[in-house]
Amino acid sequence: MRWRAEKHTPFLLLSPAILTILFVVAIPLAFSLYTSMTPYKLTKPDTINTFVGLRNYVRLFSDDKFWWAFGRTILFLAVALNLEFILGLGIALLINRITWGQRTLRTMMMFPMMFSPILVGFQFKYIFNDNIGILNNALQALGITDGSIAWLVDKPLGMISIITAEVWMSTSVFAILLLAGLFAMPRDPLEAAKVDGCNPWQVFRHITLPFLMPFAFIAMTIRSLDVARAYDIVDVMTGGGPAGRTEVLWTLIARVGYDNSKMGEANAMAYVSTLLSVAFTYYFFTKLVAARRYMGGAE
Amino acid sequence: MSGALKKRLSKIATWIATFLLMIVMGVPGLWVVLSAFRPNREIMAKPAIWIPENPTFSNFAAIFGFGDAQVAIPVLSYFTNSMIIASTSTVIALMIGMSGGYAFARFRFRFKNSLFLGLMLSRAVPGIALSLPVFMIWSKLGLIDAKLGMIIVYVALNVPFTIWLIDGFFRQIPKEMNEAAQVDGCTRWQAFWRIEFPLARSGIAAAGVFAFLTSWNEYALASQLTRSTDSKTLPVGLMDFTAQFTIDWAGMCAMAVIIIVPALILTFLVQKHLIAGLTFGGVKG
Amino acid sequence: MASINLNTVVKRYGKTEVVHGINLDIAHNEFVVLVGPSGCGKSTTLRMIAGLEDISGGEIRIGDVLVNDLPPRKRNISMVFQNYALYPHMSVRENLGFGLKIAKRPPDEIVRRVDEAADILGLTELMERTPAELSGGQRQRVAMGRAIVRQPGAFLFDEPLSNLDAKLRVQMRTEIKKLHQKVKTTVVYVTHDQVEAMTLADRIVVMKDGHIEQVGTPMEVFNHPVNTFVASFIGSPPMNLVPARIAGGEVVLADDTRLPVPGRLAGRVTDGQEVILGIRPDDMTPVGHGIHDSGEGAMLSLPVELAELLGTETLIYTRLAGQEAQGKMFDPRDVEPGEVLEFRVALDKVHLFDAGTGRSVRLD
Repeated sequence: MRWRAEKHTPFLLLSPAILTILFVVAIPLAFSLYTSMTPYKLTKPDTINTFVGLRNYVRLFSDDKFWWAFGRTILFLAVALNLEFILGLGIALLINRITWGQRTLRTMMMFPMMFSPILVGFQFKYIFNDNIGILNNALQALGITDGSIAWLVDKPLGMISIITAEVWMSTSVFAILLLAGLFAMPRDPLEAAKVDGCNPWQVFRHITLPFLMPFAFIAMTIRSLDVARAYDIVDVMTGGGPAGRTEVLWTLIARVGYDNSKMGEANAMAYVSTLLSVAFTYYFFTKLVAARRYMGGAE
Repeated sequence: MSGALKKRLSKIATWIATFLLMIVMGVPGLWVVLSAFRPNREIMAKPAIWIPENPTFSNFAAIFGFGDAQVAIPVLSYFTNSMIIASTSTVIALMIGMSGGYAFARFRFRFKNSLFLGLMLSRAVPGIALSLPVFMIWSKLGLIDAKLGMIIVYVALNVPFTIWLIDGFFRQIPKEMNEAAQVDGCTRWQAFWRIEFPLARSGIAAAGVFAFLTSWNEYALASQLTRSTDSKTLPVGLMDFTAQFTIDWAGMCAMAVIIIVPALILTFLVQKHLIAGLTFGGVKG
Repeated sequence: MASINLNTVVKRYGKTEVVHGINLDIAHNEFVVLVGPSGCGKSTTLRMIAGLEDISGGEIRIGDVLVNDLPPRKRNISMVFQNYALYPHMSVRENLGFGLKIAKRPPDEIVRRVDEAADILGLTELMERTPAELSGGQRQRVAMGRAIVRQPGAFLFDEPLSNLDAKLRVQMRTEIKKLHQKVKTTVVYVTHDQVEAMTLADRIVVMKDGHIEQVGTPMEVFNHPVNTFVASFIGSPPMNLVPARIAGGEVVLADDTRLPVPGRLAGRVTDGQEVILGIRPDDMTPVGHGIHDSGEGAMLSLPVELAELLGTETLIYTRLAGQEAQGKMFDPRDVEPGEVLEFRVALDKVHLFDAGTGRSVRLD
């Protein structure tokens, strides 16, 4: 017998992982795809056997409610992620400048990342509460407003409050990874650029930023893996309400699937949201791989 | 403006910015923690009471069922459920992740990159979207409202990222270590356990903490797949406080503290390795 | 205690073959150096002997045992890696004793043998340190100690000195030589540095592109290179190689410079044959400044382009039939660029290679 069955060892080592994913993710997703083509209702179990093809999807795509939730989700992600990147970059550059307490700050940054999203949501629900929230209390105490502002009820404010919570929770991901990038940055190119006559902005634009991009892509990839955890925040803060003003795709899925028992339709929507997330991850992962190659990493 | 003055001003600006940053990061959590130790009427007071006047543990006593609690919420069962589910799923995910991460770090094989990508993409499926079919299948298998059902789901949730991290940690160890051990008389298995595993240990611990906290904090799936004290976890339990129109703020704050504390401690213990794992695994393919 | 035999050994990665059927017999206790430019297959060959790469074809025997399908641990070899591969979580003592511990030797024997090895290598003071606390040279010594503790049949060295600075490299080279004299064992040593090869080897194996070009003692390889590759690879500064043609018993260069065909090679070339003339810088010396002033010689007048004083000798850069060439001036005097010097070429040391095959005409 060949002592090194190199060909099969890696697959053997990977088989538990593959089986787990197959059982918990792949097979359910296949089932979900089928269900999305039935009018399945939890209250009428037999409906699962009726195949209706793409009818759920057609109905979905002609439903304003769905498109509003979809658009709101995209807007939410675009605003939140861009803010997180810019703020994260700013924080990383800031922490990189200070010499004292750098490690402590970096450790502090980890905490929001490790908080339960449901807690972050609750925390901001508490802060933004119109009656007892610290924000309104502070504004009133400082005499900026007299009345209470309905942060979570008002139309644009509700979404802004949710984005604030999301940004508070996830900016750290960018800040920490970009800071790690700044720490790993070699001094020579910076000094060479200075000697070549670049001003600080040019150094940042042409040397620092390109070097940081792979780190930004790691952050984006990591974030893309769990963007949907924003569901927790929305669910606890507003539950998608009031009157659907903060409804995003994920809360709509839960409402249609569990509250209204329309599993077929919910699965169709779930498929849309899954494809959205997967495409997002795929895009940044390929970017990351390309950046790695450019940085001269292996493979 | 002279150079020295400019430098000083920029230094002061840096400090002010840092200070503001710390406030923004620290205050929300701190406020919740402070509120956990004050009575409900102080929380509801108008105008607001900023400095706690009567620090008390009564909120904690109340949620654990001591004293005259209005809502008896079985926090202790939730805590136990969370512990059992998060620990068990972490241990299993780590074993699977170590085996898979090692395969990615040390072997070349067909479909390697696509397999890695596939694993990552499986993690990208939104929890709420995944909960629908899992809910339907788990009902058939009798895994709804069961700790086992949650453990299985959380293992799958954690495997991809655990593999990513552990792959990075194993790559940091030169392949020559393993080869030297083999020449020194080890089997491949011995070389792994005696040389590579001890060297990657702190990284693996960090991956474990990450997995634990992911399970500890998860809500979307748990909120649909659990029903009763048999399996409800802390994040789901937190929603118990939100009655139709009233919210027991003090109780919720106390429970929030219970959820936060393990997360804080564990994060603090492994933050260094976690950052190393995230960046190394990511940048040096 | 082992001889090592390679019989038409082939290594393939997928469809690309990187080692093309190598034959090599290494005698018991012999110190053999595999040398060649990077990518020549020398490290791959060594790793196949170690069992770290599988063998795509052919046979390897260590001490007459066919080892093709044996894992490294069953091959009775030890290896020193380029980056030492010391176990960072173990002290020097634990590093040295690890192999014996795995082999389940009794503790007192482990202590005795580790102390012995430490003594030989001067590591006694460092036993409780970890690799991170050692200097480059000390790490190198621990790596060698780990190899000798197990008293294997053969030592394999994979470019062990390439990570050391120049001074330390010379020092460790001597130590390796001494070590081999103390601990008589078969050694296979891989390097890209021909000086290391010349100083250490009992026999040198010159490799290129997965083939063995020449096997021989350092003397043989230096004095009788079989082809232009070996001629240019071994020796520093490298041999001057100038295209030429044989006409009327003379070697005629491109600019019509003529040298007589050396007497010992006279029967080996034919009129009109295209050749490459090889002259080592040591054998092209200004008159009165050479070391081979007796014997067959020929004179060349060449202009100095640049002179580099190296101490006891000066390296003179000149141009021979339009080609860059170097000569040496022993017992040097000042030389100015542009000065024309009379060089004496020691014809009995000159090489001729066939221009088509690159092979030394001596061999045909």
